[in-house]
Amino acid sequence: MITQRGFVVIFSGVLLLTSGFSFNNFYLVLIGVYLCVGLVVTLPLFAMTANISGIEVDRQIDKVKVFSGDFLRVRVTIRNTSRRHFDFIEVHDQYPELWLLAIGANFIASRIEPGGSITFSYILQVRMRGKYYLGPTEVIMRDRLGLHYYKRTLKEETEVLVYPTWKDVRRLEALGKQRQLGLMFGAHRTKVIGMGTDFTGFREYVPGDSFRNIDWKVSAKRGDMVVRQYEMEKNIQIVCMVDTSGSMGNGYPENTKLEYAIRAAVLLTHMGLERKDLVGTCVFSDVVHAYVQPSTNPNHMFNVLESLAIAEPKGWSDYETAISYVTRQTKKRSFIIWLTDLEESPAPLLNAMKSVVANGHKATVISPFGPWFEAPVGQFGPVEKVLSEAVSEELWERRQKITRALARFGINVVNVGPEDFLPTIIKQYENAKQMGVARF
Amino acid sequence: MRTVTWILRILSTAAFIGMCLLVYQTMSGYWDWDAPYIFIVTIFRLISMVLFFIGSLVMAGLVAPFTGFAVGDTLVGLYNTQLLKMWYMQPFGVSGPFTSVNQIFSTFFANLGPIWFIISEYSFTFIYFLGAALGIAFFLQSLFRMEHKFVGGAFLSIQSILIVAAYRMIAVPDFQNGFPADFIFFLGHAVQILALVSFAYLEISYQMIYSNSVGKPVEERENTLKKQLLALRHTTRKQDTIDRGEKISTTAMSRTTGATAFSFLREAIERRVFGESEVIESLDAVADVRRLQIFVDDLLLTDPNARDELTARAAAPSEGYVISSTIIGSVIRFVGILTISFVFMNPVFFTALFNLPPGVENSVELQQPELVVFFMVPILFLFVLIAMVIGWITAREVPDKPKLTREEKEKEKVRKKELARKRKEAKKARQARDRARRKRKDLGEVEDEWDRALEETYRA
Repeated sequence: MITQRGFVVIFSGVLLLTSGFSFNNFYLVLIGVYLCVGLVVTLPLFAMTANISGIEVDRQIDKVKVFSGDFLRVRVTIRNTSRRHFDFIEVHDQYPELWLLAIGANFIASRIEPGGSITFSYILQVRMRGKYYLGPTEVIMRDRLGLHYYKRTLKEETEVLVYPTWKDVRRLEALGKQRQLGLMFGAHRTKVIGMGTDFTGFREYVPGDSFRNIDWKVSAKRGDMVVRQYEMEKNIQIVCMVDTSGSMGNGYPENTKLEYAIRAAVLLTHMGLERKDLVGTCVFSDVVHAYVQPSTNPNHMFNVLESLAIAEPKGWSDYETAISYVTRQTKKRSFIIWLTDLEESPAPLLNAMKSVVANGHKATVISPFGPWFEAPVGQFGPVEKVLSEAVSEELWERRQKITRALARFGINVVNVGPEDFLPTIIKQYENAKQMGVARF
Repeated sequence: MRTVTWILRILSTAAFIGMCLLVYQTMSGYWDWDAPYIFIVTIFRLISMVLFFIGSLVMAGLVAPFTGFAVGDTLVGLYNTQLLKMWYMQPFGVSGPFTSVNQIFSTFFANLGPIWFIISEYSFTFIYFLGAALGIAFFLQSLFRMEHKFVGGAFLSIQSILIVAAYRMIAVPDFQNGFPADFIFFLGHAVQILALVSFAYLEISYQMIYSNSVGKPVEERENTLKKQLLALRHTTRKQDTIDRGEKISTTAMSRTTGATAFSFLREAIERRVFGESEVIESLDAVADVRRLQIFVDDLLLTDPNARDELTARAAAPSEGYVISSTIIGSVIRFVGILTISFVFMNPVFFTALFNLPPGVENSVELQQPELVVFFMVPILFLFVLIAMVIGWITAREVPDKPKLTREEKEKEKVRKKELARKRKEAKKARQARDRARRKRKDLGEVEDEWDRALEETYRA
């Protein structure tokens, strides 16, 4: 292939040749011939040496599974397996558009000797959860003078699974450390009074109490029969239902309802695992995409992260199918937290909630309210502003009806925006712990 | 690589000077140093004349209702005081203040001959100077910017002088008695020397750009990495100072280097300043920069090759090899070009090969430069053909590996099957639920869909 500057050489040669012909001048013809011959004389040699199939690209990364926002070093090694040298080789290693090049460059231009190799690396900041591919790698080989080139795209791709961001967990931990109150700050242990071995206090004796529990010293002091009370710590079981229907994908690219729901689910699972509670996660839309049963398994967090990493906003929400799947799998009483925008028809939703209650589970709905995730009203023109406010009001009214309807099943609906999504999930979890909902 | 590039830069300069000197000598006697000034002044004075003509015509039209058709002194005075003040130039054929319009026009028409002569004579000389000036400008650019277009521009600008000169029938070096049959004579001829030096300039300059483009990316990478790490450290330190509540001193230089060092940091800084929810965004940006600092420090500490890989230091080719390959490559190219060009430009070779009859052999056509086309075009295409055949034989493209391995394909198949099964089951369940719902339709007068759904749910 002739490069652009190769064509310029040809045109210059032709210009000089034709000038020589017109003015009957051998000098102009000679220099024109030199240019034309100079362009092609080394072409067969270049074709022989530029055996681009002799180029091998090996890409290595430190981790194949990373958290969104983490840094990843990519090492690219280019090997020349042929017996010829490559005078000038350009290598462009491609990475996903959303990611950021933090340090270094994903490009190198150099020459490689036969059997030789060159290695370069660069550091990327991984953005947005999901499954991504590094590559392909584009290799361009030029001759010395840059008149000819061969190009090849090596399609070897490296798969990288990007987990949802871990920054919320980090922030929570940092807050805990700052206040020097440890991980249990703000958390309430679920206690069952009357059993266990931890002393909790005294109360008046009532007939039926075991004599062994009577504290004779205190009874003597008070002049009344007093029994010692003990408590036992219990943990709760939670199932987080993450709705991944198409409507959950609305909002700013990195701040969609689904992204917040996923961040909330990660935070909830982390908090649960820290406090030895069982937290399961169900990812659903019109079908159940993944269900990670509640567990304290060391790998549990990664199972949850993997199921959330590949979630895509697609389809519609089939609450009934999702809940029937979860109730089939989970027999123990659980506290079910729905992270859904409730943008489906009422009957299936109510049936699903009925099914939750009928199976002895407790539930709450944390629902991102659509307009709060869209562009701020201030950015709209007057007509759009009025329209958006009207739509917002209509939706809000619908929300009120849903809240009233679900309240009849004892299910609380919390409408959230981007700012209070995560605080709400923490609060709901703390309340559940405090009240001892769904103990096991 | 810097040394090699500098050597080639010096050689390129020498070749360019050589080419210019030869062209200058060839054109000796035609470099009239007053020509550019006279040419430009003449052109501007002509423009001035045209302007005066148009101006006087318009003004005459405007004042005609009051003064009649004769252009009066008022107009001349206006031109003298207003227009000439801007131009600082008299109309052609006029020197000093003028008072009569008719005199101006008559002088101009009387001078039309000399005007035409000046333009026709000096315009070519002007073009020589223009070509030389452009050539030098492009050459200087090519030395610093290292781009092929400047080298090509310099070469073509200098050659354009000879093209124009050839058009003017000026003694551009030429083989007086047709193309020489003797190779040694050909090599020593002025035509050949000028052509060879010109070609050498192109060749050496292109080699210089090659040497620069092979060595510079590695050097640039190293410099960029140094700057990036410095900027990163500086930003982290600054943030620490802010966190401690101390005052920070920033200079204009530190602000610009910090902000423009690399896009990641720039974005982080922008996020910190313009972030929507300021507090959280600010926290994120600071945390990102700090984490990057920790990541890089850790990497450089744990992996001794990390720095070299980031700068790709090992990718820099050895200077000795580049020098030797440049010399060998250039010599091969020069010898190849000289011999091939001589063979197919030489009419003796042509007549010997085709065993031409004496009538054709001694014809004038064989002494013409156009003869070169007979051989040149097929030979050039032959080179291209050989390259293509080599390309086919060496099987340049290896078949791409399939994206998924067999196991992965199986896995994907199972996943798709499972999803289809789930969808089917869900659909079945939905249909059953819908059927059940349809049976319970007679709910009476409930207006709201939520109330209706609620009623329905209770009744079920």
